[in-house]
Amino acid sequence: MGKIRMLIVEPASVVAEGLVALLLRSGEVEVVASYSSLDELSQTPNVDVAILSTALSRQVEGCAQLQGIPLIGMQSSITEPDALKLFGSLLTIYSSDEEVIRAVREAVETPLEHNYAESHDLSDRERDVLVLVAKGYTNKEIASELFISPHTVISHRKNIVHKTGIRSVAGLTVYAVLNKLIDSESL
Amino acid sequence: MNNTPNIGTCIALSPDMKLFELIDAHPSLLSIFLRLNMALPKGDISVGEVCRRDGYSVDMFLMLCSMHLSPSYRPSSISLKKDMLEGVVGYLRASHRYYTTYMLPHVASHLDKVLEHCDSLSERVLRRFYTEYVEFLTRHFEEEERNIFSISESPDRLVSADFSMLEAPHGDIDDRTNDIASLIFKSLPEGVPTPLRCTMLEHIYMLRDDLRRHSDIEMYLLRPIVAKYQNGR
Repeated sequence: MGKIRMLIVEPASVVAEGLVALLLRSGEVEVVASYSSLDELSQTPNVDVAILSTALSRQVEGCAQLQGIPLIGMQSSITEPDALKLFGSLLTIYSSDEEVIRAVREAVETPLEHNYAESHDLSDRERDVLVLVAKGYTNKEIASELFISPHTVISHRKNIVHKTGIRSVAGLTVYAVLNKLIDSESL
Repeated sequence: MNNTPNIGTCIALSPDMKLFELIDAHPSLLSIFLRLNMALPKGDISVGEVCRRDGYSVDMFLMLCSMHLSPSYRPSSISLKKDMLEGVVGYLRASHRYYTTYMLPHVASHLDKVLEHCDSLSERVLRRFYTEYVEFLTRHFEEEERNIFSISESPDRLVSADFSMLEAPHGDIDDRTNDIASLIFKSLPEGVPTPLRCTMLEHIYMLRDDLRRHSDIEMYLLRPIVAKYQNGR
């Protein structure tokens, strides 16, 4: 598998240069371009993922060149929570090397979610996975039950968390009961 | 010495500013007085005077205020002193009491009002979720007090203190706190009055933000102080 192709858009040069150094050190990433502003982005870059300063979130919303590219936010200033929804995950200047690399890997591996303004309704398959999560099945058991790979289960679980806004297994169980996906007696 | 932490767009905090001026600008800091059981003074005295009166380091007090006011504030290593250890641990213990005896019961009372308008199944699962959340938090507080806060009582424990054990539980707490908000916001049955839901949400978000600041104080204030002991600085 080739290196992950990466774009960085970060106005603070010290942060941008730190990120580039950290990513190159990992050996997994090729930084295709590093810009200080979105104005430098003349066309859709051929990258797998992009790290952008959250300070640019308002401009990102209207930036057609970034459509379809998983985005990771670099949070170095106070940003409105709504604006953060553009980003699949967030980093700060305190993030460790491991956290940065993990965020990049996850951004690449996770199927890109649709427009955040879309409905939060779960797909049929996501409902199937949620019900089994609520019943206490492991990822491996869910994969076996639904005849899908564990990797696909993980992707569905990420989508469920993203759509419902609920992260813990206990919380997902309550969600499933409240939304009548399971009855409490079956738990 | 940096007595005037810069907390972004907020006014600078200093020992000389009047206490009322501080609270008037940042009413949320009243909770620090509640936690530390500091009596509000009669008359207009300064932040430094009230700290000296109650035996608290004014530098530490201002750092705590700054951490509560600005999520991105981090005290510089040079401004942290070894002799702040006992005060910071005391504050964190007091915060645990504040959560268990004040904030969590307060949220519970609002949850009770919301649940009065729910069907019996929703009431049962939400009540159990909150009860288990409180039990989880309480267990975590007890573990922290036993494994981390006890450092101020024994040099041996100070040397062996391992803060990495806090990271996963802090993530779990944040997830579960968020989950309560998500469930109240998105999954309650129709018919629960909006004012009750909004009030409940206000309190759960206050709790979430306060718990985040609490974690920050442990990781970015207490841990570097302990590291100074461990590194012999």
